[in-house]
Amino acid sequence: MSVVQKAFTWGPLWFGLGFIAPLVAQSMEAAGLSAPFGMSEIAFGLAIGAVLGATAKRRGSWV
Amino acid sequence: MSQPLIVDSPDVAGREQELLLREVEISRKYLGRLPWEMVVWGLGNFVLWLSIWPLTFSGILPLWAGFLLSTFCITISYLPSHEAQHSIIASRGSKLRWLNELVGHVSTIPLVLPYRLAWITHRQHHAHTNDPVLDPDIGTRGHTWLQSVWHSLKARQPGADSAYSVALEKSDDPNAERAALEAAALTTSYYAILSGLAWSGYAIEAALLWWLPRHLSTIYIQLFLSWAPHHPQNEEGRYRDTRAWRSPIGTMASLGMEYHLIHHLHPRIPLTQTGAAYREMREILLERGIRNDGL
Repeated sequence: MSVVQKAFTWGPLWFGLGFIAPLVAQSMEAAGLSAPFGMSEIAFGLAIGAVLGATAKRRGSWV
Repeated sequence: MSQPLIVDSPDVAGREQELLLREVEISRKYLGRLPWEMVVWGLGNFVLWLSIWPLTFSGILPLWAGFLLSTFCITISYLPSHEAQHSIIASRGSKLRWLNELVGHVSTIPLVLPYRLAWITHRQHHAHTNDPVLDPDIGTRGHTWLQSVWHSLKARQPGADSAYSVALEKSDDPNAERAALEAAALTTSYYAILSGLAWSGYAIEAALLWWLPRHLSTIYIQLFLSWAPHHPQNEEGRYRDTRAWRSPIGTMASLGMEYHLIHHLHPRIPLTQTGAAYREMREILLERGIRNDGL
């Protein structure tokens, strides 16, 4: 159980990288938006997902 | 609330006994029937929800329609499992017990609510309704429905102590550990599927067919099953912890919860018959001092 519990404490970061990142990239592509600073959409999505996920993990909350 | 002047008067006790007997007599009329409609509802709704995926992916169903249909399916997915939690479909030891368990386990998969966790914590809700410490559903308390939505959102955040996890830890149920493992497996599977879909190029579909509908449905279910029928969630006791109430959006849209009082008094009465049971018991219940907000 402790392995599962440990994995769950990192849940927000997994969610940020595993779901938010591709969601941001695909939403930008669908809306015809390009990523800033010459980044690819997925690299931008990964940056956003990592920042949001890490912030949610640190704060213990998404909202 | 006014208290009886002489609580131990033989007359009062006799009258209460008489009312209770009449109440139980009426309740018996609604017990024992296998609610096939809930079986069809639970299993059919799950199949309908599953079918949304290929229909949307193949372009037959537009994504916006898939989103609306999925939100509807997930919102109504809890109630058949709730019937199973109370063994209303088939009691333990009966020939159709497997059907009760099948409906219980399958119907709430879209909601990502494991059956065993649900019924262990739901039993605690019944035993300790509105108790600020022991009721696992007390987190929905709020002066307004908006406050309730906010409180339940906060309670579902990663750093918050999940009321259901806490209730499970406190539980002496022999199935508690199994329930925790099943919950971990179901939650992990859910996030793995979301992530797998997203990295396969279906992130928007995953978000609009499952992730967002699940959040919206959870809010709706908590509002109508937990907040509204127990509001303001500050009284305890058989006839006071749940109210009869008139919903501004009607019985069906309120998931039948105007009559949730009947469920708390007689948990084995099927959902579809709580209205009829309430109408038959109404005068008795009013004399017992229930909270009736317009029903």
